[in-house]
Amino acid sequence: MDEAAATAEDHTDDKAGPATGEDKRLGDILLKVDNISLSFGGVQAISEVSFDIREHEILAIIGPNGAGKTSMLNVINGFYHPQLGTITYKGKTRRQMKPHAAARQGIARTFQNVALFRGMTTLDNIMTGRVPRLPDNLFSDIANIFLQAVWLGPAKKSEMEQRAFVERIIDFLEIQAIRRVPVGRLPYGLQKRVELGRALAMEPDLLLLDEPMAGMNLEEKEDMSRFILDVNDEFGTTIALIEHDMGVVMDISDRVVVLNYGRKIADGTPEQVQSNPEVVDAYLGVGHG
Amino acid sequence: MLYRESGQFKTSYAADQAIFPILQDKVIVWGFIVLVFLFPFFETTGDLKSLWILLMVNAMAALGLNILTGYCGQVSLGTAGFMGCGAFAAFKLASEFPELNIIIVVLLSGLASAAIGILFGLPSLRIKGLYLAVATLAAQFFLTWSFIKIPWLYNHNTSGTITAPPRTLFGQQVTGPIPGRGLSAAELDVIKRDVVISQYMICLVLLIVFALIAKNLVRGRLGRSWMAIRDMDIAAELIGIRPLRTKLLAFAVSSYYCGVAGSMLFLFYLGSLEGGEAFSINDSFLYLFMVIIGGLGSIAGSFMGAAFITLLPILLIRVPGWLGLTIHVETVTHLQFMILGALILFFLIAEPNGLARLWQIAKEKLRLWPFPH
Repeated sequence: MDEAAATAEDHTDDKAGPATGEDKRLGDILLKVDNISLSFGGVQAISEVSFDIREHEILAIIGPNGAGKTSMLNVINGFYHPQLGTITYKGKTRRQMKPHAAARQGIARTFQNVALFRGMTTLDNIMTGRVPRLPDNLFSDIANIFLQAVWLGPAKKSEMEQRAFVERIIDFLEIQAIRRVPVGRLPYGLQKRVELGRALAMEPDLLLLDEPMAGMNLEEKEDMSRFILDVNDEFGTTIALIEHDMGVVMDISDRVVVLNYGRKIADGTPEQVQSNPEVVDAYLGVGHG
Repeated sequence: MLYRESGQFKTSYAADQAIFPILQDKVIVWGFIVLVFLFPFFETTGDLKSLWILLMVNAMAALGLNILTGYCGQVSLGTAGFMGCGAFAAFKLASEFPELNIIIVVLLSGLASAAIGILFGLPSLRIKGLYLAVATLAAQFFLTWSFIKIPWLYNHNTSGTITAPPRTLFGQQVTGPIPGRGLSAAELDVIKRDVVISQYMICLVLLIVFALIAKNLVRGRLGRSWMAIRDMDIAAELIGIRPLRTKLLAFAVSSYYCGVAGSMLFLFYLGSLEGGEAFSINDSFLYLFMVIIGGLGSIAGSFMGAAFITLLPILLIRVPGWLGLTIHVETVTHLQFMILGALILFFLIAEPNGLARLWQIAKEKLRLWPFPH
């Protein structure tokens, strides 16, 4: 277990590369959103938005309510299909994709309203996140029924491997005590943390966080910010997050994209965005900076 | 319970994920299994078939339905229809291949039911909840219709009933009519009792094995996918679970269990049946009640629900007798419906997780007893 953890850390160190400075840490473009337009009937949710996310980056998407932020995340992980535009992920361009296929390619996601499996325990919820890392074909699924039925051989071995991996996430998020608790009984802040754990279990390359700090108190926000930074640091995961707490956004993100009424109005470092008059007008407001 | 897990430390994940991680539980369960195996040799009242074999068949069907409805969240009203598929498949297999071992026949008959289950599970990709229940209702009616209208299924006989052919296992007759010619009543009784005991044993072994398999399925990766679909299907899809495949696997496994239950009902309980009557919509509802009262999403709950609904009418008849009261059979039937209805309402409102959850709460309370916290 310790040995496994140690090798995994070595591995992620390689992946993250030499962390000699903010900009050098960033890699190539991981995801490129090009000219996306999405409408529901007569409502134009997103119009002609383009931006990109680079490897190991923390990108914040901000904007007033109804600006199309969540829709943007839904487009990225294949839940909505845009009418126009393309998405290039890991060098492959696509318009449409099934959500489960996106998950298998390493796009994980948490939700604005916690979307955990309420009847299952914390452990089971995070274990479910391992699904995209398991073989995906009909034959192996059917073979799995028989192996799992007798609880021997590869099925049991795989189960124990997944458990060992999930235990590392549980340690990382400091939720050992609630392992066996059905998530429906957990307080909101912990549910958000379990949801992050489930997303991490997918070993994502791109992690989409939809308002990870909504409804949290200051202490919980600090915890969550720390986990987000740690995930980015230790696993080298690229993160795109939506958040309304400007303090948090300006502190932890490398770059900020601002949406308003479905259009991109700004894109740049937190400092650039903060001083952009259009952003101040549409969202930040005068006097807050 | 009155005992705790204190002092029993787990040093591997395998031990931690065992079905009964606490030693005392393991001992109790093994003890119980030994008891039920010895039970028929001491049981003399003649309830062995009419009560206990029926209970095991019902438990098997409830297990199957609980996998689909309790774990995967797909409401089904076609349980009896799927059981019928198993029964008729067993009949066809046994009559087409007379040399085939009867246990193999039972296991294969489930496959026919699983195939039909997958077919009727296809709409589940698009429709949910009540609407899916209506779709499975269509399966129920279509299947009972075919049990009557397709003569090939009952080998074109005139009565439309199927009768279990005589088959032996290890030299002991286990199903089919008992040849009674030239035997005295006492001799016939002995033979009958042997047949019933062997039927009891077969059902018991099948039930224990299939319950264990069900537990293994739901505690692993497949079961987690099912529960993920049940609890939040959109999130499940976004983390990489294929909804259609997962649901169809649930339909297949569930119908397999129901099919095996159906062929058990046919071969080891009824002996001969008429498809339209033995697998009616009423039975489908009864199985749904079993899993609701017993506990959706619980293996133990399937047993509790099946035991409750099977034993309720018997108890209603016998308890007044034990108390020296006389009660009319009709009154019992009415009482049965009233109690069942009231209980279903009670469980749906007060404890949707059924008897299994009540049992769990009792265990948690006993763990701390006599202290409140």
